Amino acid sequence: MKKQNRLGSRLLIGLMFLFLYAPILLLIVFSFNAGDSSAVWKGFSLHWYARLFQNRLIMESVYTTLLVSLLATAIATVAGTFAAIGLYSLGRKRREALLMVNNIPMMNADIVTGVSLCLFFVAFFQGWGSFARWFNSVQGVVELPDRLVLGFSTLLLAHVAFNIPYVILNVAPKLRQMDRNLMDAAQDLGCTWMRAFWQVMLPEIKPGIVSGALIAFTMSIDDFIISYFTAGSASSTLAMTIYGMTKKRVTPEINAVSTLLFLSVLVLLVLSNLKEVRAEARERLGAARKPSALERARLKFAEPRFKWVRRGTAGVLACAFIFTVAALAHATGSRPVVNVCSWGEYIDEDLITQFEEETGIRVNYQTAESNEALYSLLKSGGADYDVVVPSDYMIGRLIAEDMLEPLDYSQIPNFDLIDQRFRNLSYDPDNLYTVPYTWGTLGIIYNTAMVEEEITSWSALYDGKYAGNVLLINNSRDAIGEALLYLGYSVNTTDEAEIREAYELVADANRRGVFQGRVMDEVFQKMEGGNAAIATYYAGDYLSMLENNEDLAFVIPEEGSNWFVDAMCMLKDAPHQREAHMWINFIASTQANLANMDYIWYASPNREALERYPAYYEELYGEELDPELYEIMAAPAETLERCEAYLNLPAKTLSLYNTLWTQLGTD
Amino acid sequence: MKNKLSWFAVPYVVWMALMVVIPILIMVVYAFTTADYEGTLENFAEMGTYAAVFFRSFRLALIATLVCLLIGYPVSYWMAHEGPGFQRVAMALIMLPMWMNFLLRTYSWMSILENNGLLNQFFKTIGLLDLLGVEYIPMIGTSGAVVLGMVYNYLPFMILPIYSVIVKLDYSLLEAARDLGADSRRVFRKVILPLSLPGVLSGVTMVFVPSVSTFAISRLLGGGTQIMLGDLIEQQFLGGSYDPHLGAAISMVMMVIVVVCMVVMNRFGEGEEEAVML
Repeated sequence: MKKQNRLGSRLLIGLMFLFLYAPILLLIVFSFNAGDSSAVWKGFSLHWYARLFQNRLIMESVYTTLLVSLLATAIATVAGTFAAIGLYSLGRKRREALLMVNNIPMMNADIVTGVSLCLFFVAFFQGWGSFARWFNSVQGVVELPDRLVLGFSTLLLAHVAFNIPYVILNVAPKLRQMDRNLMDAAQDLGCTWMRAFWQVMLPEIKPGIVSGALIAFTMSIDDFIISYFTAGSASSTLAMTIYGMTKKRVTPEINAVSTLLFLSVLVLLVLSNLKEVRAEARERLGAARKPSALERARLKFAEPRFKWVRRGTAGVLACAFIFTVAALAHATGSRPVVNVCSWGEYIDEDLITQFEEETGIRVNYQTAESNEALYSLLKSGGADYDVVVPSDYMIGRLIAEDMLEPLDYSQIPNFDLIDQRFRNLSYDPDNLYTVPYTWGTLGIIYNTAMVEEEITSWSALYDGKYAGNVLLINNSRDAIGEALLYLGYSVNTTDEAEIREAYELVADANRRGVFQGRVMDEVFQKMEGGNAAIATYYAGDYLSMLENNEDLAFVIPEEGSNWFVDAMCMLKDAPHQREAHMWINFIASTQANLANMDYIWYASPNREALERYPAYYEELYGEELDPELYEIMAAPAETLERCEAYLNLPAKTLSLYNTLWTQLGTD
Repeated sequence: MKNKLSWFAVPYVVWMALMVVIPILIMVVYAFTTADYEGTLENFAEMGTYAAVFFRSFRLALIATLVCLLIGYPVSYWMAHEGPGFQRVAMALIMLPMWMNFLLRTYSWMSILENNGLLNQFFKTIGLLDLLGVEYIPMIGTSGAVVLGMVYNYLPFMILPIYSVIVKLDYSLLEAARDLGADSRRVFRKVILPLSLPGVLSGVTMVFVPSVSTFAISRLLGGGTQIMLGDLIEQQFLGGSYDPHLGAAISMVMMVIVVVCMVVMNRFGEGEEEAVML
């Protein structure tokens, strides 16, 4: 080729690599940041690496990711190889028809594969459930489990399903290149059919199998979308954990884990490349170079007489791997568990450890994004929770749809500490299902460094004065509720015209580019970092943000707002009911409520805790709690009077909310 | 012998029926029913409301694919002309980011593109912001950021297939063309380009399909104010408005459009049975 263009082309290739690697380098650099920002450098520290190994959520998801990728690759490689051999001994017509079906998962968008598999699993579980109940009722010998949910096994099945086509695709060309007569020749020469397969065919197609396995593994590791739809709530891959974290506050532990992943892959790549380069060099030099001690040992080990040693070692390693997996599975499976689903940044995590130490029960703590998202998760059959912490109106809906199990209050003595104000509320009038967790108000949070005036009205969200700097809350009830309040309507209106008018207000502002984004817990990062000027969120979370950015202010607009109660309840047919009651009782205690108030800044419904908190604060920090802050946290009666609680809405109105919310941002 | 081996295909046929065909059939059933499993076409009638989302998704995915092609083709072409050592290192470097999950890489862009992020801080330091008289250049939450995220994540999928075709080109063909008097421009247009077309086609497929259906990239970099098809579908299953029937219908329409596009496009590369994946 022409030489003169080399420099220019290399420069451009270099630029492309800069583009590919700059973000990765940034991730790595900020994993050593002493502060917790990913944009402001505060000095060198290895602190996040230490934290990483204590972070159970991340470590477990790394483990799940590796396990599912390795298992799926192994299964798919074996199955795909045999399938390819089978397909290639079929006639051309049938083979091509089957290969077309084989290509479907690769042609299809991941989201379609994920969605269809999710629907399939759920339909299968429903069918299985009724079969198992029938089967258990007609005989008493074998008890079949009648309640299956999405989890590790469905995740693994899905990964195998999308990996097999890649293996086939890589093995197929090798099969096509192979001389068919080889197999016949081997058999004519006295090989058994099995032996011909092992010793003639396999070595021929081995490169295809290896590259197929490699690609399958890459696809498994890189996958997010299919896992997201098929893993359910019980298991979470690293990608799902990261996605969950990007919706909340991302901590540099994620940077640390990416750095470690990146470095280990880099080392593997360098080693394998070095091996190839060495082999090439050796070929070039011939036998002139004396092999090193290591190489001599390897050569010796490769001699035929060590065949059984080699096989033995491989066998031992395989057994060790299976044993470790089984042991880990057993260790996690044998302890009693309670599966809890709450919101992000919504518990003092020390409480979880404390509960686990006291009771020996493992807490599987998950978070959902919003009440509506939790509802979707429960409905789609992906959730395996015992305890959930929805808000008032959603509890009303869950009760109405018979999705909750009544609580046994004799097992929850701490319920007596709950203030009368928070019992028998409209969503649970006889208080059969719930133990309140927190309460608070919705309001506007704004950055006084970016907003000169004092904000007093919801109009700040819509009038476009701060276009591009406003964050819209990402759930239909709050977003439309705010607009209803601004227009002077009730947040519980069922009048379609009023709801449409409110929606139009939001949609119009969205069209005009007023909103920078639709956020739930991403709001922490955005507001603390000064990346947006105005947001609406909950009082407790405002106080958390205030700790990291003193410029923030909170206001309950003059048109009034919403006040809410979030309460713990147990799902219908929850598998761990005893543990669930223990958890609820533990969290309802005064001590837990004090710890939570201090950590998440939401007001407690526990009478003692609420009264004692200022004293608790003074004792802990040696300074008085700012009464203004306490008033934001635990809104006084006159503020609550200006606020309206959400009620569950009739089905028709809910479906209108759904439709309108889906349409937002689609024009 | 042939018959014995063909038995190997049986379990796989069963597996495909279970894990590929039936799930898609179930999706189709969902698309044509209401929440009470009564037949309906309403889900499709509603589709008109979301025409803008379809349009936006296909437009952004198309732009991202084009950008990938414009960067990916020359890079693969030049890379194929480097020495074997350079090629090996370059290929490894292109594959390497794929072993880090794409969400990690996308998340990294978030901190770069924020209003108060690294890029804006950099612009401030060099005085660009003062020059323009603005406090920041809005980047996050724009369609540009979404396209950037797509290009960044899917560029390797464009480079790998094109590179693997070009590197296997028979050089005697090029020499023959040159000997017969074609200048290098003509050699490229008449020989190299047609021969590398299968790689381009599979690259285009591999970039376009994930781009058009993404929801994580648009959510993280697009802020969620301008939603895309993937977001719309996700919302119906695990997001803020639960309606799997509508979600299935949207998925189905998207699937059909994508498949039709791919079939039409692959007509151009007909006769190239060898699929050039990765």
